[in-house]
Amino acid sequence: MDSRRCQVRVADTALELLPERALYWPETETLAVADLHWGKTESFQQHGIPLPTGVLEDDLARLSAALTSTGARRLLLLGDLIHSREGITPALVERLARWREAHAHVACVLVRGNHDRHLKTLPESWRLEVRETHADEGPFRFAHHPEPAPGRYVWAGHLHPMVRLGGRGDTLRLPCFHVGPGVGVLPAFSAFTGGANVSRRAGDRIFAIASPAVVEV
Amino acid sequence: MPAGRPRSLRAQIAASRKALRAATEPPAPQAPREPRRPRGRRTARTQAETQQAPLDRLRGWFHEKGWTPYPFQEEAWAAHARGESGLIHVPTGAGKTYAAYLGPLAEVAEQGQPGLQLLYVTPLRAVSRDVEKALREPLDVLDADIAVESRTGDTSSSVRQRQRERLPQVLITTPESLCVLLTHERAAELFASLRSVIVDEWHELLGSKRGSQLELALARLRKFAPGLRTWALSATLANLEEAARHAVGTHQTPTVVSASLERPVAVETLLPESVDAFPWAGHLGFSMLARVATWLDAERSTLIFTNTRSQAERWFEGLRFARPEWEHLIALHHGSIDREERERVEGGLKEGSLRIVVCTSSLDLGVDFGPVERVVQVGSPKGIGRTMQRAGRSAHRPGATCHILFVPTHALELVEMAAAKDALLRREVEARAPPRKPLDVLAQHLVTCALGGGFTPDALRDEVRTAAAFSSLTDEEFAWTLSLVREGSPTLRAYPEFRRVVEHEGRCVVADARVARMHRLNIGTITSDAVVQLRYWSGGRLGSVEESYVSRLKPGDTFIFAGKKLEFSRIQDMTAYVRPAKTKVTQTPRWGGSRLPLSSSLAAAVRRTLDAARQGDVTSDELAAAWPVLDAQARLSRIPAADILLAETCQTRDGHHLFLYPFEGRLVHEGLAALLALRLTRLRKATFTLSVNDYGLELLTPAPFPFDAVLQPSLFTRERLEADVLESVNVGELSKRQFRDIARIAGLVLPGLPGARKSSRQVQASASLLHDVFLKYDPDNLLLVQARREVLEQQFEEGRLERTLERLQAAPLELLHVRRPTPLGFPLVVERISASLSSESLLERVERMKERWTREDARSA
Repeated sequence: MDSRRCQVRVADTALELLPERALYWPETETLAVADLHWGKTESFQQHGIPLPTGVLEDDLARLSAALTSTGARRLLLLGDLIHSREGITPALVERLARWREAHAHVACVLVRGNHDRHLKTLPESWRLEVRETHADEGPFRFAHHPEPAPGRYVWAGHLHPMVRLGGRGDTLRLPCFHVGPGVGVLPAFSAFTGGANVSRRAGDRIFAIASPAVVEV
Repeated sequence: MPAGRPRSLRAQIAASRKALRAATEPPAPQAPREPRRPRGRRTARTQAETQQAPLDRLRGWFHEKGWTPYPFQEEAWAAHARGESGLIHVPTGAGKTYAAYLGPLAEVAEQGQPGLQLLYVTPLRAVSRDVEKALREPLDVLDADIAVESRTGDTSSSVRQRQRERLPQVLITTPESLCVLLTHERAAELFASLRSVIVDEWHELLGSKRGSQLELALARLRKFAPGLRTWALSATLANLEEAARHAVGTHQTPTVVSASLERPVAVETLLPESVDAFPWAGHLGFSMLARVATWLDAERSTLIFTNTRSQAERWFEGLRFARPEWEHLIALHHGSIDREERERVEGGLKEGSLRIVVCTSSLDLGVDFGPVERVVQVGSPKGIGRTMQRAGRSAHRPGATCHILFVPTHALELVEMAAAKDALLRREVEARAPPRKPLDVLAQHLVTCALGGGFTPDALRDEVRTAAAFSSLTDEEFAWTLSLVREGSPTLRAYPEFRRVVEHEGRCVVADARVARMHRLNIGTITSDAVVQLRYWSGGRLGSVEESYVSRLKPGDTFIFAGKKLEFSRIQDMTAYVRPAKTKVTQTPRWGGSRLPLSSSLAAAVRRTLDAARQGDVTSDELAAAWPVLDAQARLSRIPAADILLAETCQTRDGHHLFLYPFEGRLVHEGLAALLALRLTRLRKATFTLSVNDYGLELLTPAPFPFDAVLQPSLFTRERLEADVLESVNVGELSKRQFRDIARIAGLVLPGLPGARKSSRQVQASASLLHDVFLKYDPDNLLLVQARREVLEQQFEEGRLERTLERLQAAPLELLHVRRPTPLGFPLVVERISASLSSESLLERVERMKERWTREDARSA
């Protein structure tokens, strides 16, 4: 077992929180990630904002690493896979198709998020199975929006949770998993995302990604 | 033009100008409507009255008003007529506007040509209306149909539309609005007839990027109108020659017109009845407020200057509470308050219906508030030039004595005030250093030029170099900036989607309407952080606050704004909605960038003053009043000497402290603290928390640290200074903070304006996120390099940091161990708010923080 990961039991199920900003469910060999925002750099470039490229390559490398190290057979994408329609350039579609090819044996399921509505149909070559609002599996509901569902524990994204640590001038702001009693929010997967500070309520557990490890704070 | 100049020559010049224009440009399309400019009448008039030249008639108007032109005014008029450019340097209230204006005006009257003739640039759009009035006043005696209009961010769209067709002969504008005009496709044509530019309050613009932006715009205007004369108006500066050179560009020698008309400044300090030996910021504030409330006199019109907007809010609130009978005589004025309200306040002050106005630097500049008799400065003035400027707001008449009352808000400010008095007597005014070739401003300018008719790179590069701020721009820097707006940057070459500036038939132009719109919105952003409008739920605008402040508020939080108690509800579409608060108000907004560092002149004066106090010289009233503090400092430690560095070490519950008191201003201390922390951690691994103020700095570490052993002169060496500062900056957050402005100016962050938000939500990212992306994927990006350089130059006032190190390395060290923080150290402890620096790994830090949290939780439980 990798010590950089954090083991948690949620809804009587053993899960692992990965420093790659992903959730792993060993029993079903399922990896879940949220908010990948593919094409964000490209959207900026199209608006005349000169951003360097490289975020996508790093993000893909990290996703590949998470898939390889867990040996996951299924990948759940919890919404906001793409950033905007105009960011989906032919070069990007092609690059992602190649990445998909490299992980052809992994089944990919996309639960649509608010950003994904910009694109009615996703490129065939990405071979994604699409769910409009959620996917229910075992004790869990996987969705984009973190709304409670009666009888199920919800894993979602959308919020890009960040945690602020420290005080007295010595502070750090890190992406985190925000695991509440009924809803758990995953960190945004893409490195090119901002975030909102979480506010801790009773019963909440917060796991910061202090790379290279996940630490409960 | 001087009166005696032969008519025929004038006619020749006019004719040749006309011919030149006809040869170089397509004919200007006729405006559909020509307001106030019947054509024929003018000519008839000039023929009938050829005896008296316009300038003589303007002299006559001066006499009618009971004035006599000063020699410097005559000198300025003559220099303008000779075709020279330069700088007019005289104190506020001495009549420099007319010194600059009447010469060009006489020429405009004489030549009587259509199209823009004279441009008057003012840094404050709020004063444009007053300037307009002042510039119109002498028109009557000229009997000429000269249109004087303003064009600022506040100008209505219908007027703007009309001005796009045809500009008035005399146009008053701001640097930003001028740049927007330069984006006009026919810019070359609009400005070809321009004869003169007057830049008001040049000392305000010079030290900032707005100044660099204007320098580039002026270079462009000189290209459009060869022979253009530039006259800058400036208050007293230590570097007048440099200021003049930056105003006129590198292709001409500036003429400096000065007058020794400094008005006497009478300074008084309101002494507190008693002072606490342990002062901290704002502590004296409330007792002093009551004293000021008694001192004020509604019969005598008074401006009360504060250093921050939140301080202005608190003082306004306090004075209203103390003197409820003045409800209608007292008002508040600062940069975030709604424009209409500000205008009402300015109007009330001028006509005398408002007697007491609490304000910030928002009223430092601008035209005459005739009736103001007295000026109050709450807190340290932080600089000598600034004190003179503020004092000059009272008795705004040539020769009259200005009165200013200093009100200390904590005991140590008494020392600053004693020092300021001394420095004022010695006239130790500060210099303002212009920024060196800021590439973000250049990037913005390139897009402006691409929109305004396009450019060819070689010609534009030569033109840009005529602006003094960019005279040392290298070919590589120009090429890189051009590639930033054309290809994105070298790493982007593979992306054909990127287009901001494109090449079309050999010229660089903007083809995309969306890019054009965004750019125009972005031009004004040099001045301001992203702001959100503040509105009542029920409707009604209150003004604007910085987004960073609002983003920290939670629904239900209460705060004071524009003297009103408000409860925050929600933020939507760049508008923050509030309702009147029913509960107790907890906070006043904090606006960014509002803390001014102690200027170098005043800092030196403070060291001199303290040194005298150390020798027992407490002759000034201010020092006598501050004596309990100085005495406690002397008992617990020492009063710092001018040429000895005082260091104190101390152990408290928080950890192990080192206090140093170089008295160099907070920016220098910020740099120095980061530098020392870095150098100390090289000697021994530790985490330091840094805290700085204008007097000194504190390094705090949780574990014991052998400060005594490591505090050696070698710690202050200037060797590897730049590398070390850069290294400490990279670790800290400073260059990231600096990058925020750069990203905005260079157009990486889209303007956060209402309306613009909706359409551009997909491309919003915080500058700090962009900074991280650049740092990782394009570390050689020149904008990052610039951010680092700016941190060095401005943030740390690099020259000052280096001189400080030189001083400190040579100074004997006085190291004392104290039982608890001393009166000088205490404010640093109270204000510990700064960046952090660590050589420990991330995980270790997280673990340590966890531990601390646990301990605190256990204690509170």
